[in-house]
Amino acid sequence: MTTVTAIDDRSHLSTALDQMAELSARSIRNSLRNPSGYIPGLVFPLMLAAVYSAQFQRALGLPGFPEVDSFLDFILPASILQSVAFGATAAGADMALDIENGFFDRLLTSPVSRASILVGRLVGSAVEAALKFVVLLAIFLLFGASVKSGLPGVVVLMVVSLLLAIAIGGISLVLALRTGSQEAVNASFPLVFSTLFISSAFFPTELMNGWYQKVAEYNPVSWIINPVRRLVIEGWSWTDAATAIGLTATLGALTITWATFALRSRLRSL
Amino acid sequence: MTALAVGPTHGALVVRSLAMRGMQRILRRPSIILPTIIMPVFFLVAFTGSFSGITNIEGYGTDNVYNWMTPYAILQGVTFAGVGAAGMTGEDMEGGFYDRLLLTPGSRLPLMLGPIGYAMLRALIPITLVLVTAIVLGGADLNGGVLGVIVLYLGALGTAAGFACLGLVAIYTLKSMRALLAIQVPIFALTFLSIGQVPLEFQTGWLRQVSESNPVTPILEMLRQGFLGAVTWDQTWPGIVAVGVLILVFGLPAWFQLRRMAP
Repeated sequence: MTTVTAIDDRSHLSTALDQMAELSARSIRNSLRNPSGYIPGLVFPLMLAAVYSAQFQRALGLPGFPEVDSFLDFILPASILQSVAFGATAAGADMALDIENGFFDRLLTSPVSRASILVGRLVGSAVEAALKFVVLLAIFLLFGASVKSGLPGVVVLMVVSLLLAIAIGGISLVLALRTGSQEAVNASFPLVFSTLFISSAFFPTELMNGWYQKVAEYNPVSWIINPVRRLVIEGWSWTDAATAIGLTATLGALTITWATFALRSRLRSL
Repeated sequence: MTALAVGPTHGALVVRSLAMRGMQRILRRPSIILPTIIMPVFFLVAFTGSFSGITNIEGYGTDNVYNWMTPYAILQGVTFAGVGAAGMTGEDMEGGFYDRLLLTPGSRLPLMLGPIGYAMLRALIPITLVLVTAIVLGGADLNGGVLGVIVLYLGALGTAAGFACLGLVAIYTLKSMRALLAIQVPIFALTFLSIGQVPLEFQTGWLRQVSESNPVTPILEMLRQGFLGAVTWDQTWPGIVAVGVLILVFGLPAWFQLRRMAP
């Protein structure tokens, strides 16, 4: 009897993993088939980086500006995280589309693992984030940017990007599950944009003033970007690596938990 | 039996009706105007907040960053207003109302001037809102006095008309609201690759060359002069020419596309 139960458990786990893999693959295929979804997320951060590098070069000499070889180095982490953040909301938008067109209900009537519904979407976001990371980093390096901490720093930057994609994807899934509307999920885009802008992403908080400086300093995006930036412009530091990964992992865990509760709540309401 | 107005009077009536129809649309669905209101004010707050430190660099031109960024935020507001107004034509095409408009007798020109008029009316909202926010929140200086404000409004309204023409070219060509997505990149390029955030002297390499030949640069100089000092003809006429160029460059193709749809 015990053996049979163990086999059943293994089989159940294996089926759940298969379902997660299938739903993840579906999510990735959807993303790749929709260039209008990921191209703006690549083009706009690159354009912003190109413009800011050419217009803020004189700002590097201001007292309070960190010592950096070029503005391109300074803005590298922000551009990558901006690109990843913009794409991550697609997880929620696609989930909302599934709800709107009835695919979500059909999934629920099948014996599919509930966790795989969320995981599938988040893996899709993470894969898209990884691809964007590789493309953007290659372009930045091509134009002369450098990562002072070398390969370990690049790995940390990539892990942070993936975790951030999962964290923001989690929030967008909550919105999708609560509202069931693509429009509502897409409306969160300005929120992501403003959260990123009112932070140390594009300029050091030391050079800001008043209430804006306070908000930027308390913005969790600054807490993530600052250690990542130090890895890029100063060099390797275990503290910075652990801080950046720890913060984004915590954020990811919180938003996934929230999304799980939102899914349970939606299932109860059906 | 009511006599029908013909000729220019009839055209003016159609333009007014279409422009007012757009404004009524805003009143019925205020969500349409929200991006036009929120985004420029957000840009004003974000740009002045993030980049306030650059006023410490010698040669920036002002010690109050609001004096520099307010016209830029207004420019972005009127860009949204112009392109958004063209979106009304896209909606009408998708809904079939535009086909009925094209069946009506008379010149086609009012059908194009109507949305442009709507764009200019709609642009009044972000111009006023950003200006008031800049004065209240950042103490923006109006060194150019009433004349500076008049030049700011007229220049910004002309710019809204230019960007409405750009939106109409896209809509008339692709006959869908999705056309507006396609022009995001040129709009981004026109507004960002200019003296929006820093003076020309601060820019290096390719950006400086692009900014120098971008028509938005003289427009911004015209709009900004009233914040930095007195209004002068030398800083006004290049802006007027640039607005004219925008309207011609985008307006003529829009007109030709409209004529192709309904000769």
